[in-house]
Amino acid sequence: MIIRILTEGQFNLPGIHLDKLNEIDNQLVEAVEAENREQLSHLLHQMLDMVREKGTPVPIDELVESDLILPEPDITLEEAEEMFTGEGLLPG
Amino acid sequence: MGMFSRMSTIVKSKMNRVLDNAEDPRETLDYSYEKQLEMLRGVKKGVVEMVAAKRRIQQQATKVQENVTRLDGQARQALDVGREDLARLALQRKQTALIELQGLDEQIAGMEHEQEKLTAAEQRLQAKVTAFKTKKEIIKAQYTAAQAQVRIGSALSGISEEMGDISLAVERAETKTELMRSRAGAIDELASAGVLEDFTGREDDIGKQLARLSADQNVDDELAALKSGLSGGSNPALPEGR
Repeated sequence: MIIRILTEGQFNLPGIHLDKLNEIDNQLVEAVEAENREQLSHLLHQMLDMVREKGTPVPIDELVESDLILPEPDITLEEAEEMFTGEGLLPG
Repeated sequence: MGMFSRMSTIVKSKMNRVLDNAEDPRETLDYSYEKQLEMLRGVKKGVVEMVAAKRRIQQQATKVQENVTRLDGQARQALDVGREDLARLALQRKQTALIELQGLDEQIAGMEHEQEKLTAAEQRLQAKVTAFKTKKEIIKAQYTAAQAQVRIGSALSGISEEMGDISLAVERAETKTELMRSRAGAIDELASAGVLEDFTGREDDIGKQLARLSADQNVDDELAALKSGLSGGSNPALPEGR
């Protein structure tokens, strides 16, 4: 499974980790809804560390589309909220 | 919807907008390649600007450091001629300058971090663009309308996702640099207006007061240390009027 961490690059993560990833993802959504900054940052780092540790970086000159795209490590609560409600992080 | 399914949808929808105009897919390839080169130039420019902004703040920090040394010397001189009031003033200013210096150092560290990220993004994009160019030429050489569609699709979605990611990285780096630049500008203005005392930045009121108290304490301590140095060292500090 190809996963991109925004502003960092792509990793190839074995599919067995998907459940864990999903679990953290659900907690992330809760953290954003509860406006819990610490929890957001903690979960995000946990998630990204897992991808970095269990995954292998996709070679720099390979052109593949990602199956999943994860936020960058220093996303703020406001940016995360905007992702759920507004136009999203990328300029149109 | 979860965080990452949401992210994925957002990024991909933004990407597709760039690329659906051309009728002949080969034109899309060329058009996309032009866009990639344009973006690469943009990223390079971003790195250069980041370095320049950092250098400016480093120069500022050097000036403040010189100021600290100068004020230190002035405090000693003032005590030498028995002007404790002047010595205290110099030490107070020195404390302010030290706070300023700390803020500048933090900014420099932040910018170095952004610069590293941008440089990495530049290298990544460069590699992808080169790979895309090769692929594009192969596809064009073997092109027949029916079969090329799929391969063009996968090459394009790979590169366009990368471009979306990098434009995000650049945008964030620029926002951060702009923020730091405006903070540095504010320090400049305060310094020239001589009202540096108020530059404690992001702290709340209590934090400000505590910072001021500890700065006052530092001034007292330093003054005491200077005095004991003057009085020969064997004697503890003179009684002070606190």
